[in-house]
Amino acid sequence: MNVQAPRILLRRQLLGGVKRRASREPYRCFSCSVRDAQQQTPPPKSPQHAQGTTHFGFETVAEALKEQKVGAVFSSVASSYDAMNDFMSLGIHRLWKDHFVRNLNPGRNPLTSSSSDQGWNILDIAGGTGDIAFRMLDYASTINNDAHTKVTVADINPDMLAEGRKRALSTPYARSPRLKFVEANAETLDMIPDSSIDLYTVAFGIRNFTHKGTALREAYRVLKPGGVFACLEFSKVNNPLFDAFYKRWSFGAIPLIGQVVAGDRDSYQYLVESIERFPSQTEFRDMIQDAGLLVPGQGWEDLTGGIAAIHKGVKPT
Amino acid sequence: MGSWDLKPHPSMATRSLLGSFRATSSRLAAAPACRRSFHSYEYTQPPPFPPTESAILSAALSHVPDHGFTTAALTLGARDVGYLDVSTNILPRGVFDLVNYHLVMQRLALKDTVQFPAEAESGKKLGTGAKVRTLILARLRANESIIHRWQEALAIMAQPTYVPASLAELARLADEIWFLAGDTSVDTSWYTKRASLSAIYSSSEVFMTQDTSQNFRDTEQFLDARMEDVMKMGSIFGALGEWTDYTAHSTINVLRSKGVRI
Repeated sequence: MNVQAPRILLRRQLLGGVKRRASREPYRCFSCSVRDAQQQTPPPKSPQHAQGTTHFGFETVAEALKEQKVGAVFSSVASSYDAMNDFMSLGIHRLWKDHFVRNLNPGRNPLTSSSSDQGWNILDIAGGTGDIAFRMLDYASTINNDAHTKVTVADINPDMLAEGRKRALSTPYARSPRLKFVEANAETLDMIPDSSIDLYTVAFGIRNFTHKGTALREAYRVLKPGGVFACLEFSKVNNPLFDAFYKRWSFGAIPLIGQVVAGDRDSYQYLVESIERFPSQTEFRDMIQDAGLLVPGQGWEDLTGGIAAIHKGVKPT
Repeated sequence: MGSWDLKPHPSMATRSLLGSFRATSSRLAAAPACRRSFHSYEYTQPPPFPPTESAILSAALSHVPDHGFTTAALTLGARDVGYLDVSTNILPRGVFDLVNYHLVMQRLALKDTVQFPAEAESGKKLGTGAKVRTLILARLRANESIIHRWQEALAIMAQPTYVPASLAELARLADEIWFLAGDTSVDTSWYTKRASLSAIYSSSEVFMTQDTSQNFRDTEQFLDARMEDVMKMGSIFGALGEWTDYTAHSTINVLRSKGVRI
Protein backbone atom coordinates (compact mmCIF):
# COMPACT_ATOMS: atom_id res chain seq x y z
CA MET A 1 0.00 0.00 0.00
CA ASN A 2 2.74 2.39 0.91
CA VAL A 3 4.55 1.57 -2.27
CA GLN A 4 1.50 2.14 -4.39
CA ALA A 5 0.66 5.65 -3.24
CA PRO A 6 3.62 7.48 -4.85
CA ARG A 7 3.10 5.50 -8.04
CA ILE A 8 -0.45 6.73 -8.32
CA LEU A 9 0.73 10.23 -7.65
CA LEU A 10 3.31 9.91 -10.39
CA ARG A 11 0.77 8.63 -12.85
CA ARG A 12 -1.51 11.49 -12.06
CA GLN A 13 1.26 13.95 -12.75
CA LEU A 14 2.16 12.34 -16.04
CA LEU A 15 -1.35 12.22 -17.37
CA GLY A 16 -2.61 15.57 -16.22
CA GLY A 17 -5.98 15.56 -17.87
CA VAL A 18 -7.16 12.07 -17.03
CA LYS A 19 -9.97 13.18 -14.77
CA ARG A 20 -11.52 15.56 -17.21
CA ARG A 21 -11.32 12.98 -19.89
CA ALA A 22 -13.37 10.46 -17.98
CA SER A 23 -16.62 12.23 -18.64
CA ARG A 24 -16.23 12.14 -22.41
CA GLU A 25 -15.40 8.62 -23.46
CA PRO A 26 -14.56 5.41 -21.65
CA TYR A 27 -11.46 4.74 -23.75
CA ARG A 28 -9.23 6.91 -25.86
CA CYS A 29 -6.11 6.19 -27.82
CA PHE A 30 -3.91 8.08 -30.28
CA SER A 31 -6.07 7.07 -33.19
CA CYS A 32 -9.32 8.06 -31.48
CA SER A 33 -9.11 11.60 -32.70
CA VAL A 34 -8.72 10.54 -36.32
CA ARG A 35 -11.68 8.24 -35.90
CA ASP A 36 -13.59 11.15 -34.43
CA ALA A 37 -12.86 13.24 -37.47
CA GLN A 38 -13.89 10.56 -39.91
CA GLN A 39 -16.78 8.75 -38.32
CA GLN A 40 -18.42 10.94 -35.81
CA THR A 41 -21.16 12.80 -37.59
CA PRO A 42 -21.13 16.32 -36.26
CA PRO A 43 -24.37 17.27 -34.49
CA PRO A 44 -26.94 19.17 -36.58
CA LYS A 45 -25.70 22.62 -37.66
CA SER A 46 -28.48 24.69 -36.18
CA PRO A 47 -27.62 25.71 -32.65
CA GLN A 48 -31.32 25.99 -31.84
CA HIS A 49 -31.96 22.28 -32.34
CA ALA A 50 -32.46 21.86 -28.63
CA GLN A 51 -33.31 24.55 -26.17
CA GLY A 52 -30.39 25.79 -24.16
CA THR A 53 -27.65 23.61 -25.61
CA THR A 54 -24.62 24.51 -27.63
CA HIS A 55 -21.60 22.72 -29.00
CA PHE A 56 -18.33 22.17 -27.22
CA GLY A 57 -16.12 20.76 -29.91
CA PHE A 58 -18.16 17.90 -31.36
CA GLU A 59 -20.04 17.41 -28.11
CA THR A 60 -23.38 18.99 -27.33
CA VAL A 61 -23.45 20.53 -23.90
CA ALA A 62 -25.79 22.75 -21.93
CA GLU A 63 -25.17 26.43 -22.62
CA ALA A 64 -24.42 27.11 -18.99
CA LEU A 65 -21.69 24.48 -19.07
CA LYS A 66 -19.80 25.67 -22.15
CA GLU A 67 -18.27 28.72 -20.51
CA GLN A 68 -17.07 26.59 -17.63
CA LYS A 69 -15.64 23.93 -19.93
CA VAL A 70 -13.84 26.46 -22.14
CA GLY A 71 -12.52 28.01 -18.96
CA ALA A 72 -11.08 24.68 -17.90
CA VAL A 73 -9.43 24.19 -21.29
CA PHE A 74 -7.69 27.54 -21.27
CA SER A 75 -6.71 27.33 -17.62
CA SER A 76 -4.89 24.14 -18.43
CA VAL A 77 -3.13 25.42 -21.54
CA ALA A 78 -2.27 28.93 -20.30
CA SER A 79 1.33 28.21 -19.31
CA SER A 80 2.28 26.31 -22.44
CA TYR A 81 0.15 28.42 -24.77
CA ASP A 82 2.94 29.97 -26.82
CA ALA A 83 5.06 26.86 -27.19
CA MET A 84 2.02 24.90 -28.28
CA ASN A 85 0.97 27.51 -30.84
CA ASP A 86 4.45 27.36 -32.33
CA PHE A 87 4.42 23.57 -32.50
CA MET A 88 0.96 23.34 -34.01
CA SER A 89 1.19 26.08 -36.60
CA LEU A 90 4.92 25.68 -37.26
CA GLY A 91 5.37 29.27 -36.15
CA ILE A 92 3.00 30.64 -38.76
CA HIS A 93 0.63 32.06 -36.12
CA ARG A 94 3.22 34.77 -35.47
CA LEU A 95 3.13 35.80 -39.13
CA TRP A 96 -0.66 35.88 -39.06
CA LYS A 97 -0.69 38.07 -35.97
CA ASP A 98 1.95 40.40 -37.39
CA HIS A 99 0.00 40.72 -40.62
CA PHE A 100 -3.22 41.29 -38.72
CA VAL A 101 -1.73 44.16 -36.74
CA ARG A 102 0.18 45.68 -39.67
CA ASN A 103 -2.96 45.75 -41.78
CA LEU A 104 -4.91 47.55 -39.07
CA ASN A 105 -2.16 50.18 -38.86
CA PRO A 106 -2.92 51.12 -35.23
CA GLY A 107 -1.90 54.47 -33.80
CA ARG A 108 -2.33 58.08 -34.78
CA ASN A 109 0.70 59.49 -36.51
CA PRO A 110 1.45 62.96 -35.05
CA LEU A 111 3.11 64.00 -38.33
CA THR A 112 -0.09 63.75 -40.34
CA SER A 113 -2.65 64.62 -37.69
CA SER A 114 -2.78 68.33 -37.01
CA SER A 115 -4.77 68.05 -33.80
CA SER A 116 -2.41 65.76 -31.96
CA ASP A 117 -4.71 64.62 -29.19
CA GLN A 118 -5.07 61.16 -27.72
CA GLY A 119 -4.36 58.00 -29.70
CA TRP A 120 -6.66 55.08 -30.39
CA ASN A 121 -8.62 53.26 -27.77
CA ILE A 122 -8.19 49.58 -28.54
CA LEU A 123 -10.08 46.75 -26.88
CA ASP A 124 -8.50 43.34 -27.30
CA ILE A 125 -11.03 40.66 -26.42
CA ALA A 126 -9.88 37.17 -25.46
CA GLY A 127 -6.33 38.47 -25.63
CA GLY A 128 -5.26 37.21 -22.22
CA THR A 129 -1.67 36.43 -23.08
CA GLY A 130 -1.22 39.84 -24.67
CA ASP A 131 -0.01 38.56 -28.04
CA ILE A 132 -2.04 41.09 -30.00
CA ALA A 133 -1.88 43.85 -27.39
CA PHE A 134 1.92 44.03 -27.30
CA ARG A 135 2.08 43.99 -31.09
CA MET A 136 -0.46 46.82 -31.29
CA LEU A 137 1.47 48.96 -28.82
CA ASP A 138 4.79 48.21 -30.52
CA TYR A 139 3.39 49.10 -33.90
CA ALA A 140 1.77 52.31 -32.67
CA SER A 141 4.95 53.44 -30.89
CA THR A 142 7.60 52.50 -33.41
CA ILE A 143 5.84 52.84 -36.75
CA ASN A 144 3.35 55.63 -36.07
CA ASN A 145 5.30 57.39 -33.28
CA ASP A 146 2.17 57.41 -31.20
CA ALA A 147 2.76 57.35 -27.46
CA HIS A 148 -0.90 57.63 -26.46
CA THR A 149 -2.70 54.65 -27.97
CA LYS A 150 -4.18 52.50 -25.21
CA VAL A 151 -4.98 48.82 -25.22
CA THR A 152 -7.43 47.16 -22.85
CA VAL A 153 -6.94 43.42 -22.74
CA ALA A 154 -10.10 41.59 -21.74
CA ASP A 155 -10.28 37.88 -21.10
CA ILE A 156 -12.75 35.68 -19.33
CA ASN A 157 -10.00 33.48 -17.97
CA PRO A 158 -7.91 34.69 -14.99
CA ASP A 159 -5.16 32.16 -15.73
CA MET A 160 -4.63 33.55 -19.23
CA LEU A 161 -4.65 37.11 -17.84
CA ALA A 162 -2.06 36.14 -15.26
CA GLU A 163 0.11 34.78 -18.07
CA GLY A 164 -0.31 38.07 -19.95
CA ARG A 165 0.56 40.17 -16.90
CA LYS A 166 3.66 38.07 -16.41
CA ARG A 167 4.70 38.61 -20.01
CA ALA A 168 3.96 42.31 -19.88
CA LEU A 169 6.78 42.65 -17.37
CA SER A 170 9.30 42.06 -20.13
CA THR A 171 7.77 44.80 -22.31
CA PRO A 172 8.02 48.58 -21.79
CA TYR A 173 4.27 48.74 -21.14
CA ALA A 174 4.07 46.86 -17.84
CA ARG A 175 3.74 49.93 -15.61
CA SER A 176 2.37 52.37 -18.17
CA PRO A 177 -1.27 53.45 -18.32
CA ARG A 178 -1.36 52.33 -21.95
CA LEU A 179 -1.94 48.69 -21.09
CA LYS A 180 -4.75 47.44 -18.91
CA PHE A 181 -5.97 43.94 -18.10
CA VAL A 182 -9.63 43.26 -17.29
CA GLU A 183 -11.45 40.04 -16.57
CA ALA A 184 -14.62 40.18 -18.64
CA ASN A 185 -17.08 38.14 -20.62
CA ALA A 186 -17.27 39.37 -24.22
CA GLU A 187 -21.05 39.00 -24.15
CA THR A 188 -21.51 41.48 -21.28
CA LEU A 189 -18.86 44.20 -21.36
CA ASP A 190 -20.58 46.31 -18.72
CA MET A 191 -17.40 48.12 -17.66
CA ILE A 192 -16.92 49.49 -21.22
CA PRO A 193 -19.15 52.51 -22.01
CA ASP A 194 -21.12 52.80 -25.27
CA SER A 195 -19.31 54.21 -28.32
CA SER A 196 -15.91 54.43 -26.66
CA ILE A 197 -13.70 52.07 -28.64
CA ASP A 198 -11.85 52.78 -31.91
CA LEU A 199 -10.76 49.26 -32.57
CA TYR A 200 -12.18 46.02 -31.22
CA THR A 201 -9.98 43.02 -31.91
CA VAL A 202 -10.44 39.37 -31.14
CA ALA A 203 -7.76 36.93 -32.24
CA PHE A 204 -8.46 33.21 -32.00
CA GLY A 205 -11.10 33.77 -29.37
CA ILE A 206 -14.55 34.21 -30.87
CA ARG A 207 -14.66 30.50 -31.68
CA ASN A 208 -15.02 29.74 -27.97
CA PHE A 209 -17.86 32.17 -27.27
CA THR A 210 -21.14 30.63 -26.28
CA HIS A 211 -23.24 33.24 -28.11
CA LYS A 212 -21.28 34.73 -30.99
CA GLY A 213 -24.19 36.92 -32.10
CA THR A 214 -24.50 38.47 -28.64
CA ALA A 215 -20.77 39.16 -28.57
CA LEU A 216 -20.97 40.85 -32.00
CA ARG A 217 -23.86 43.03 -30.87
CA GLU A 218 -21.89 43.93 -27.76
CA ALA A 219 -18.96 44.86 -30.01
CA TYR A 220 -21.31 47.09 -32.01
CA ARG A 221 -22.41 48.78 -28.78
CA VAL A 222 -18.93 49.62 -27.49
CA LEU A 223 -17.53 50.76 -30.86
CA LYS A 224 -17.49 54.45 -31.75
CA PRO A 225 -19.31 55.28 -34.99
CA GLY A 226 -16.67 54.54 -37.61
CA GLY A 227 -14.90 52.14 -35.27
CA VAL A 228 -13.64 48.82 -36.54
CA PHE A 229 -14.31 45.26 -35.46
CA ALA A 230 -11.43 43.01 -36.51
CA CYS A 231 -11.30 39.30 -35.95
CA LEU A 232 -8.50 36.83 -36.64
CA GLU A 233 -9.83 33.31 -36.48
CA PHE A 234 -9.39 29.82 -37.87
CA SER A 235 -11.55 29.29 -40.89
CA LYS A 236 -12.27 26.92 -43.75
CA VAL A 237 -9.54 25.82 -46.16
CA ASN A 238 -10.54 26.50 -49.78
CA ASN A 239 -8.49 23.91 -51.65
CA PRO A 240 -9.97 20.41 -51.13
CA LEU A 241 -6.59 18.71 -51.51
CA PHE A 242 -4.93 20.98 -48.99
CA ASP A 243 -8.00 20.61 -46.79
CA ALA A 244 -7.60 16.83 -46.66
CA PHE A 245 -3.97 17.22 -45.60
CA TYR A 246 -4.88 19.93 -43.08
CA LYS A 247 -7.64 17.80 -41.51
CA ARG A 248 -5.15 14.95 -41.11
CA TRP A 249 -2.71 17.27 -39.45
CA SER A 250 -5.19 18.92 -37.14
CA PHE A 251 -7.03 15.78 -36.01
CA GLY A 252 -4.00 13.51 -36.02
CA ALA A 253 -1.04 15.57 -34.95
CA ILE A 254 -2.31 18.44 -32.84
CA PRO A 255 -3.90 16.41 -29.98
CA LEU A 256 -0.76 14.25 -30.01
CA ILE A 257 1.53 17.27 -29.78
CA GLY A 258 -0.72 18.54 -27.00
CA GLN A 259 -0.27 15.33 -25.09
CA VAL A 260 3.49 15.17 -25.56
CA VAL A 261 4.36 18.84 -25.04
CA ALA A 262 1.66 20.14 -22.72
CA GLY A 263 0.59 16.84 -21.14
CA ASP A 264 -3.02 17.61 -22.01
CA ARG A 265 -4.67 15.87 -24.91
CA ASP A 266 -8.29 16.79 -24.25
CA SER A 267 -7.77 20.52 -24.40
CA TYR A 268 -6.16 20.26 -27.81
CA GLN A 269 -8.78 17.82 -28.99
CA TYR A 270 -11.33 20.49 -28.10
CA LEU A 271 -9.24 23.04 -29.99
CA VAL A 272 -9.36 21.20 -33.31
CA GLU A 273 -13.01 20.27 -32.88
CA SER A 274 -13.96 23.86 -32.17
CA ILE A 275 -12.09 24.96 -35.30
CA GLU A 276 -14.09 22.44 -37.29
CA ARG A 277 -17.37 23.75 -35.85
CA PHE A 278 -16.65 27.42 -36.46
CA PRO A 279 -18.77 28.94 -39.28
CA SER A 280 -17.27 29.37 -42.74
CA GLN A 281 -16.00 32.70 -44.06
CA THR A 282 -19.30 33.65 -45.72
CA GLU A 283 -21.43 32.56 -42.75
CA PHE A 284 -19.34 34.55 -40.33
CA ARG A 285 -19.35 37.55 -42.70
CA ASP A 286 -23.15 37.42 -42.68
CA MET A 287 -23.15 37.28 -38.88
CA ILE A 288 -21.04 40.45 -38.79
CA GLN A 289 -23.45 42.14 -41.19
CA ASP A 290 -26.41 40.99 -39.10
CA ALA A 291 -24.90 42.79 -36.11
CA GLY A 292 -25.16 46.03 -38.11
CA LEU A 293 -21.54 46.41 -39.21
CA LEU A 294 -20.41 47.29 -42.75
CA VAL A 295 -17.93 44.82 -44.19
CA PRO A 296 -15.08 45.96 -46.44
CA GLY A 297 -15.01 44.37 -49.90
CA GLN A 298 -15.93 40.71 -49.74
CA GLY A 299 -15.68 40.89 -45.95
CA TRP A 300 -12.68 38.73 -45.15
CA GLU A 301 -9.10 37.95 -46.09
CA ASP A 302 -7.85 34.37 -46.19
CA LEU A 303 -4.49 33.54 -44.64
CA THR A 304 -2.48 30.48 -45.68
CA GLY A 305 -5.16 29.14 -48.00
CA GLY A 306 -8.00 29.75 -45.55
CA ILE A 307 -6.60 28.02 -42.44
CA ALA A 308 -7.18 31.36 -40.78
CA ALA A 309 -9.09 34.41 -41.95
CA ILE A 310 -9.29 38.06 -40.98
CA HIS A 311 -12.82 39.41 -40.82
CA LYS A 312 -13.50 43.09 -40.44
CA GLY A 313 -16.55 45.25 -39.89
CA VAL A 314 -17.00 48.99 -39.60
CA LYS A 315 -19.71 50.60 -37.48
CA PRO A 316 -21.57 53.07 -39.70
CA THR A 317 -21.76 56.69 -38.61
CA MET B 1 -35.16 49.01 -81.78
CA GLY B 2 -31.95 50.92 -81.68
CA SER B 3 -32.11 51.46 -77.99
CA TRP B 4 -30.27 48.24 -77.15
CA ASP B 5 -26.67 48.52 -77.93
CA LEU B 6 -25.01 45.34 -76.86
CA LYS B 7 -21.44 45.64 -75.91
CA PRO B 8 -19.45 42.75 -74.46
CA HIS B 9 -18.50 43.59 -70.91
CA PRO B 10 -14.81 44.47 -70.66
CA SER B 11 -14.30 41.95 -67.89
CA MET B 12 -15.25 39.19 -70.30
CA ALA B 13 -12.52 40.26 -72.64
CA THR B 14 -9.93 40.42 -69.91
CA ARG B 15 -11.03 37.09 -68.59
CA SER B 16 -10.57 35.37 -71.91
CA LEU B 17 -7.35 37.21 -72.70
CA LEU B 18 -5.80 36.80 -69.31
CA GLY B 19 -7.39 33.69 -67.97
CA SER B 20 -5.36 33.55 -64.80
CA PHE B 21 -6.65 36.81 -63.37
CA ARG B 22 -9.14 35.14 -61.12
CA ALA B 23 -8.84 37.68 -58.35
CA THR B 24 -10.43 40.41 -60.44
CA SER B 25 -13.33 38.36 -61.64
CA SER B 26 -14.18 37.03 -58.19
CA ARG B 27 -14.08 40.55 -56.81
CA LEU B 28 -16.52 41.59 -59.51
CA ALA B 29 -18.85 38.79 -58.56
CA ALA B 30 -18.90 39.95 -54.95
CA ALA B 31 -19.80 43.52 -55.96
CA PRO B 32 -23.41 44.82 -56.10
CA ALA B 33 -25.89 42.19 -57.14
CA CYS B 34 -27.38 43.93 -60.18
CA ARG B 35 -24.49 44.15 -62.62
CA ARG B 36 -25.10 43.65 -66.32
CA SER B 37 -22.58 42.07 -68.62
CA PHE B 38 -23.63 44.36 -71.45
CA HIS B 39 -24.07 48.06 -71.97
CA SER B 40 -27.59 49.38 -71.89
CA TYR B 41 -29.00 52.85 -72.48
CA GLU B 42 -32.27 51.78 -70.85
CA TYR B 43 -30.97 50.95 -67.39
CA THR B 44 -28.59 53.04 -65.37
CA GLN B 45 -25.61 51.18 -63.98
CA PRO B 46 -25.51 50.88 -60.17
CA PRO B 47 -22.99 53.23 -58.53
CA PRO B 48 -19.51 51.67 -58.74
CA PHE B 49 -18.73 52.00 -55.03
CA PRO B 50 -20.82 51.57 -51.85
CA PRO B 51 -21.73 54.92 -50.20
CA THR B 52 -19.33 54.76 -47.24
CA GLU B 53 -16.35 53.81 -49.39
CA SER B 54 -17.06 56.46 -51.99
CA ALA B 55 -17.53 59.16 -49.31
CA ILE B 56 -14.14 58.38 -47.76
CA LEU B 57 -12.39 57.94 -51.11
CA SER B 58 -13.70 61.10 -52.72
CA ALA B 59 -12.71 63.11 -49.64
CA ALA B 60 -9.30 61.41 -49.64
CA LEU B 61 -8.77 62.26 -53.30
CA SER B 62 -8.88 65.96 -52.48
CA HIS B 63 -5.84 65.43 -50.22
CA VAL B 64 -3.85 63.66 -52.91
CA PRO B 65 -2.23 66.83 -54.40
CA ASP B 66 -0.72 67.56 -50.97
CA HIS B 67 -0.18 64.11 -49.50
CA GLY B 68 0.04 61.86 -52.53
CA PHE B 69 -1.49 58.41 -52.82
CA THR B 70 -0.72 57.50 -49.21
CA THR B 71 -2.48 56.29 -46.10
CA ALA B 72 -2.18 59.85 -44.80
CA ALA B 73 -4.51 61.04 -47.57
CA LEU B 74 -6.93 58.24 -46.72
CA THR B 75 -6.89 59.08 -43.02
CA LEU B 76 -7.47 62.78 -43.68
CA GLY B 77 -10.28 61.92 -46.07
CA ALA B 78 -11.94 59.68 -43.49
CA ARG B 79 -11.73 62.47 -40.90
CA ASP B 80 -13.27 64.95 -43.36
CA VAL B 81 -16.44 62.91 -43.67
CA GLY B 82 -16.79 62.23 -39.96
CA TYR B 83 -15.09 58.87 -39.73
CA LEU B 84 -12.18 57.82 -37.54
CA ASP B 85 -8.60 57.06 -38.54
CA VAL B 86 -9.32 53.39 -38.05
CA SER B 87 -12.28 53.52 -40.46
CA THR B 88 -9.89 53.38 -43.43
CA ASN B 89 -9.98 49.63 -42.77
CA ILE B 90 -13.21 49.64 -44.79
CA LEU B 91 -10.88 49.69 -47.83
CA PRO B 92 -9.46 46.19 -48.10
CA ARG B 93 -6.67 47.21 -50.51
CA GLY B 94 -5.71 50.48 -48.80
CA VAL B 95 -4.06 53.01 -51.09
CA PHE B 96 -4.68 50.92 -54.17
CA ASP B 97 -8.39 51.46 -53.57
CA LEU B 98 -7.72 55.19 -53.73
CA VAL B 99 -5.90 54.83 -57.06
CA ASN B 100 -8.61 52.52 -58.34
CA TYR B 101 -11.31 54.99 -57.32
CA HIS B 102 -9.67 57.71 -59.37
CA LEU B 103 -9.33 55.39 -62.37
CA VAL B 104 -12.92 54.18 -62.25
CA MET B 105 -14.47 57.60 -61.65
CA GLN B 106 -12.49 59.22 -64.47
CA ARG B 107 -13.36 56.39 -66.83
CA LEU B 108 -17.06 56.75 -66.08
CA ALA B 109 -16.86 60.54 -66.32
CA LEU B 110 -15.53 60.28 -69.88
CA LYS B 111 -18.95 59.83 -71.46
CA ASP B 112 -20.17 63.08 -69.87
CA THR B 113 -17.08 65.23 -70.39
CA VAL B 114 -16.67 64.45 -74.10
CA GLN B 115 -19.63 65.28 -76.33
CA PHE B 116 -19.28 64.84 -80.07
CA PRO B 117 -21.44 67.19 -82.16
CA ALA B 118 -24.06 65.43 -84.24
CA GLU B 119 -23.11 65.01 -87.91
CA ALA B 120 -25.98 67.16 -89.16
CA GLU B 121 -24.93 70.14 -87.01
CA SER B 122 -21.25 70.34 -87.77
CA GLY B 123 -21.63 69.38 -91.39
CA LYS B 124 -18.47 67.33 -91.59
CA LYS B 125 -18.03 63.81 -90.31
CA LEU B 126 -15.65 63.25 -87.42
CA GLY B 127 -13.62 60.08 -88.04
CA THR B 128 -13.27 57.32 -85.45
CA GLY B 129 -9.54 58.06 -85.23
CA ALA B 130 -10.18 61.69 -84.36
CA LYS B 131 -12.78 60.72 -81.80
CA VAL B 132 -10.38 58.27 -80.15
CA ARG B 133 -7.71 60.96 -80.03
CA THR B 134 -10.11 63.43 -78.39
CA LEU B 135 -11.16 60.82 -75.84
CA ILE B 136 -7.59 59.85 -74.95
CA LEU B 137 -6.66 63.50 -74.50
CA ALA B 138 -9.71 64.10 -72.34
CA ARG B 139 -8.77 61.14 -70.16
CA LEU B 140 -5.17 62.33 -69.87
CA ARG B 141 -6.37 65.82 -68.94
CA ALA B 142 -8.32 64.29 -66.06
CA ASN B 143 -4.94 63.43 -64.47
CA GLU B 144 -3.79 67.03 -64.74
CA SER B 145 -4.52 68.07 -61.15
CA ILE B 146 -2.59 65.15 -59.65
CA ILE B 147 0.02 64.61 -62.36
CA HIS B 148 2.86 65.44 -59.95
CA ARG B 149 1.68 62.53 -57.79
CA TRP B 150 0.82 60.16 -60.60
CA GLN B 151 4.16 58.33 -60.51
CA GLU B 152 3.28 57.17 -56.99
CA ALA B 153 0.04 55.80 -58.31
CA LEU B 154 1.84 54.03 -61.17
CA ALA B 155 4.23 52.51 -58.63
CA ILE B 156 1.31 51.22 -56.56
CA MET B 157 -0.40 49.80 -59.65
CA ALA B 158 2.83 48.03 -60.60
CA GLN B 159 2.95 46.10 -57.31
CA PRO B 160 2.53 42.41 -58.20
CA THR B 161 -0.64 42.04 -56.09
CA TYR B 162 -2.37 44.86 -57.92
CA VAL B 163 -1.09 44.27 -61.48
CA PRO B 164 -4.09 42.13 -62.53
CA ALA B 165 -6.60 44.66 -61.24
CA SER B 166 -4.69 47.53 -62.86
CA LEU B 167 -4.51 45.79 -66.24
CA ALA B 168 -8.20 44.97 -66.06
CA GLU B 169 -8.97 48.62 -65.41
CA LEU B 170 -6.77 49.63 -68.37
CA ALA B 171 -8.67 47.19 -70.57
CA ARG B 172 -11.96 48.65 -69.38
CA LEU B 173 -10.74 52.15 -70.24
CA ALA B 174 -9.68 51.08 -73.74
CA ASP B 175 -13.04 49.42 -74.21
CA GLU B 176 -14.88 52.51 -73.00
CA ILE B 177 -12.95 54.76 -75.39
CA TRP B 178 -13.62 52.55 -78.42
CA PHE B 179 -17.27 52.29 -77.44
CA LEU B 180 -17.68 56.05 -77.06
CA ALA B 181 -15.86 56.59 -80.36
CA GLY B 182 -18.62 54.53 -81.96
CA ASP B 183 -16.62 51.48 -82.92
CA THR B 184 -18.80 48.44 -83.59
CA SER B 185 -16.27 45.92 -84.86
CA VAL B 186 -17.04 42.29 -84.14
CA ASP B 187 -14.00 40.61 -85.72
CA THR B 188 -10.50 40.00 -84.39
CA SER B 189 -9.76 43.72 -84.72
CA TRP B 190 -11.88 44.06 -81.56
CA TYR B 191 -8.88 42.70 -79.68
CA THR B 192 -6.07 44.39 -81.61
CA LYS B 193 -7.79 47.78 -81.35
CA ARG B 194 -8.08 47.49 -77.61
CA ALA B 195 -4.56 46.16 -77.19
CA SER B 196 -2.99 48.93 -79.26
CA LEU B 197 -5.06 51.60 -77.56
CA SER B 198 -4.02 50.29 -74.14
CA ALA B 199 -0.37 50.48 -75.19
CA ILE B 200 -0.75 54.01 -76.56
CA TYR B 201 -2.66 55.26 -73.55
CA SER B 202 -0.34 53.83 -70.92
CA SER B 203 2.81 55.09 -72.65
CA SER B 204 1.30 58.58 -73.07
CA GLU B 205 0.33 58.56 -69.42
CA VAL B 206 3.89 57.75 -68.37
CA PHE B 207 5.21 60.42 -70.75
CA MET B 208 2.84 62.97 -69.24
CA THR B 209 4.33 62.53 -65.75
CA GLN B 210 7.61 63.94 -67.12
CA ASP B 211 6.04 66.60 -69.31
CA THR B 212 6.89 70.18 -68.35
CA SER B 213 5.72 71.87 -71.55
CA GLN B 214 2.99 74.51 -71.75
CA ASN B 215 -0.45 72.94 -71.51
CA PHE B 216 1.06 69.46 -72.04
CA ARG B 217 1.73 70.15 -75.72
CA ASP B 218 4.55 67.58 -75.76
CA THR B 219 2.21 64.88 -74.51
CA GLU B 220 -0.19 65.71 -77.32
CA GLN B 221 2.62 65.41 -79.86
CA PHE B 222 3.79 62.17 -78.28
CA LEU B 223 0.28 60.79 -78.52
CA ASP B 224 -0.03 61.76 -82.18
CA ALA B 225 3.31 60.13 -82.96
CA ARG B 226 2.26 56.90 -81.25
CA MET B 227 -1.09 56.82 -83.06
CA GLU B 228 0.73 57.34 -86.34
CA ASP B 229 3.07 54.48 -85.44
CA VAL B 230 0.15 52.19 -84.84
CA MET B 231 -1.50 53.12 -88.11
CA LYS B 232 1.81 52.58 -89.93
CA MET B 233 2.21 49.27 -88.16
CA GLY B 234 -1.33 48.38 -89.09
CA SER B 235 -0.72 49.04 -92.77
CA ILE B 236 2.61 47.21 -92.64
CA PHE B 237 0.94 44.19 -91.06
CA GLY B 238 -1.85 44.37 -93.60
CA ALA B 239 0.57 44.52 -96.52
CA LEU B 240 2.68 41.77 -94.96
CA GLY B 241 -0.38 39.56 -94.66
CA GLU B 242 -1.36 40.18 -98.26
CA TRP B 243 2.15 39.39 -99.45
CA THR B 244 2.35 36.20 -97.38
CA ASP B 245 -1.02 35.09 -98.69
CA TYR B 246 -0.03 35.75 -102.30
CA THR B 247 3.36 34.04 -101.96
CA ALA B 248 1.89 30.97 -100.30
CA HIS B 249 -0.75 30.57 -102.98
CA SER B 250 1.79 31.02 -105.79
CA THR B 251 4.17 28.48 -104.23
CA ILE B 252 1.40 25.90 -103.97
CA ASN B 253 0.28 26.59 -107.54
CA VAL B 254 3.85 26.27 -108.86
CA LEU B 255 4.23 22.96 -107.01
CA ARG B 256 0.88 21.75 -108.39
CA SER B 257 1.96 22.64 -111.93
CA LYS B 258 5.01 20.44 -111.39
CA GLY B 259 2.71 17.50 -110.61
CA VAL B 260 2.92 17.48 -106.79
CA ARG B 261 -0.41 16.33 -105.33
CA ILE B 262 -1.42 18.97 -102.82
